[in-house]
Amino acid sequence: MAVTVTKKKAVRKPEKKRTLTWAVLKSQQQLIWMSVPLTLYIILFAYVPVWGWTMAFQNYKPARSFSQQDWVGFKQFKFLFTDDDFIRVLRNTIGMSFINLVLGFVTAIVLALLLNEIRKVVWKRTVQTISYLPHFLSWVIVTGIVATSLASDGIINDILMKLHLIKEPILWLSEGKYFWGIVGASHVWKEVGWNTIIYLAAMASIDPALYEAAEMDGASRYRKMLHVTLPGIKSTIVILLIMSIGHILDAGFEVQYLLGNGLVVDWAETIDIFVLKYGIAQGNYSLATAGGIFKTVVSVALLLVANWTAKRLGEERLL
Amino acid sequence: MGGRFKPLFRLGILMAMTFSVILSGCGGGKDNSADNAGSATGQTATDNGGSSSDGKVEPFNVSVFIGEAGQQPTPDNKIYKKIKEETGATFNFEFLAGDINQKLGVMIAGSDYPDLMTGNTKLTAAGAYIPLEDLIEKYAPNLKKHYEAYWNMMKDPNDGHIYILPNYGVFNGKLNSSWYAGPAFWVQKDVLAEAGYPKVRTLDEYFDLIAKYKAKHPTIDGSPTIGFEILNYDWRNWGLFNPPQHLIGHPNDGGVVVNNGAAEIFADKDYAKQYYQKLNQMNEQGLIDKETFVQNYDQYLAKLSSGTVLGMFDQHWNFQNAENSLITQKKFNRTYVGLPIVYDESTKDYYRDRAPLNLNNGFGISVNAKDPVKIIKLLDTLITEDWQKTFTWGIEGEDYIVNDQGRFMRTQEQRDKQSDGTWKLANKADALFGNLPKIEGSFSDGNSTDAAAQPEEYKAGLNDYDKKFLEAYGFNSYVDFFSEPPENPIYYPAWSIDLVEGSEAKVANTKLNDLSTKYLPKAILANPSDFDSVWNEYTSQIHKVDVKAYEDKINEQIKWRIDNWSK
Repeated sequence: MAVTVTKKKAVRKPEKKRTLTWAVLKSQQQLIWMSVPLTLYIILFAYVPVWGWTMAFQNYKPARSFSQQDWVGFKQFKFLFTDDDFIRVLRNTIGMSFINLVLGFVTAIVLALLLNEIRKVVWKRTVQTISYLPHFLSWVIVTGIVATSLASDGIINDILMKLHLIKEPILWLSEGKYFWGIVGASHVWKEVGWNTIIYLAAMASIDPALYEAAEMDGASRYRKMLHVTLPGIKSTIVILLIMSIGHILDAGFEVQYLLGNGLVVDWAETIDIFVLKYGIAQGNYSLATAGGIFKTVVSVALLLVANWTAKRLGEERLL
Repeated sequence: MGGRFKPLFRLGILMAMTFSVILSGCGGGKDNSADNAGSATGQTATDNGGSSSDGKVEPFNVSVFIGEAGQQPTPDNKIYKKIKEETGATFNFEFLAGDINQKLGVMIAGSDYPDLMTGNTKLTAAGAYIPLEDLIEKYAPNLKKHYEAYWNMMKDPNDGHIYILPNYGVFNGKLNSSWYAGPAFWVQKDVLAEAGYPKVRTLDEYFDLIAKYKAKHPTIDGSPTIGFEILNYDWRNWGLFNPPQHLIGHPNDGGVVVNNGAAEIFADKDYAKQYYQKLNQMNEQGLIDKETFVQNYDQYLAKLSSGTVLGMFDQHWNFQNAENSLITQKKFNRTYVGLPIVYDESTKDYYRDRAPLNLNNGFGISVNAKDPVKIIKLLDTLITEDWQKTFTWGIEGEDYIVNDQGRFMRTQEQRDKQSDGTWKLANKADALFGNLPKIEGSFSDGNSTDAAAQPEEYKAGLNDYDKKFLEAYGFNSYVDFFSEPPENPIYYPAWSIDLVEGSEAKVANTKLNDLSTKYLPKAILANPSDFDSVWNEYTSQIHKVDVKAYEDKINEQIKWRIDNWSK
């Protein structure tokens, strides 16, 4: 609807340069009015809460007014950054995030390419539905399934034993070195189908004429995949990648919290768990806020870097 | 004019729709909960109108937050009905769903408190409770009498007010006890029975028994026998952390051992090392469950319920559900006996203690309560003996009988009902009573306040296996395995000391727990030749933590308790 309105106006009042004049504002008043609720929404829920960042520089106590709080400067940040565990949880967060990112992208794109090649609609829909159903399970349930399958008498050990790949059941969850892999694999299992949806949509919008032309030139299925489909969804991939890079410090909380235990704690603790344990669980909301600020700042920085890189490479970008 | 009006009109409609969508999205949750509360109270109000015959009692609602998961009683629960008829009070319970800290954070952030809330130091710190001492003095003579001897102990160490009415730990008359709820090294009854009912005192004897039994019975009911379980999941960490203090003959003081009023942590001491080294050796012999440190609480209970676990260190209440399941399966020989194990014969065991006042537990009245006087009067009524009997024993003739000697007893049918969860939701007020101030010990007529502790009732309720088992030892109940507890030191127990949210002591405590969670499993599962190096790494990490802040805080509070609690 918005599009048609602007078109109409554009016809009536041709403009050479887009300068903001009273007349423009007036002519677009309907659009502006429509954007008011959303702008208000964003100001209220995205900008006003930033005021809460002041907590990070206080020794915040609930039920006290703002003027009664103690100001402590950078004490909370100091605690955060000087703690021995911080480097460890940062490494775990980035490590697991990176694995999730790479695995998530590769598997989703591959599955989408494969699904795209299936010509029988029923079969395609079936595979798609089955693969995205786990997305709707909560992590509590997924970790339960994962823990049960990885137990010493679980299905994974059973299969490996039957195939004679191992002699004794492996206690997967008690070894730190397996933990990142387990988290990555659970993410793939849960999200792969869901992540393909957007790629499939992008593939559907590729002009069929391109495929026909490629066929005329004698391109095989693989060639078409490589030279038509992939370039066709490249811009989607880049946008999604930029957005995911912004979330690199959100390695997740539930999976690590629910699957972790004392033996793998060195590999399982993420920033979120650290902040929960030393911030919120201690009633130290200031530290939790400081952790949040750190994450936001890093995320924004990464996002800008990724965006800038994309621009340099001549790719689609977000901002 | 008309031409201009039309688009504006359309725009207006559009905006109205947009706004209404946003607003309904925001307000939905609240509306619903208000509706629910409304309908619930509406319903109960009409109930009340129908049943109160004398019309003297004035109906009122009390909203209650219970800080743990629970089930709503049925709407026609007979005890709540009786309360409603006689006092006019209707309770609307909100049980914890999910994480307590998260829930409290939300409650505190919005100052959204119901009338009554179970005790929590976070809420106290946020100023969510009202001071009760004046209210009690003025309006609650029964409560005043009930808590008289404990008055000073109930005061908050930070500001000297009473905020919470402790739900356990106030004793009257003779204390009968037939059920031990506390910590011990537990062992399957069959292990003792097969060894000829020996008296087990030391750690070595204990593990020898388990090793022998496991060698003889590699499987139980077709599943592999598990020698020893150690639960360390989330806050249920005592299975791993606590045994060393008991093994040297100290009671449960949490993370410290107190000698002559001076507390020190024991995690890095040699007597702790001795225990974990023993576990390390036992692991080498295959006695310890391989998955023990990976399991969660549910998996732990499932293993215990299967009857294949021979022993563990735990608190009885923590695995009671598993034991109940074993009883339901009629596997009486697979249920557990608690043993007060120590390092050497000469040490007197101090597992069983006199229950201390359960500080920071029980109800407090919130700052949002409209009529605190009414609530304190209600609580004052409910502490009277008649009501207490109704809560514990039930209603005479229906839930218990009084025999010729005036003793309370239950028929087998009544006894069976007491372990039926569904029946209890309709006929017991456990959610409320669990947190109310209560009389413990015996009533003025000599009957025990707890049916399970009434000696003749306990005996009558025993199954044949347990009767035979206790006869073999010459004991009246399983509590007799433990030494009679001495008088508690005034400061006891140190575990109930509030370290104060966000303080250095609390941070140090969290760090210590983290280290133990990380290194103790490592040490136990290590190759015996590597044990020492893991242990040394563990202790050197402990020494990096600000242990002193933690110990100082506890010592300061111990001193404070000695100064303020002494009569």
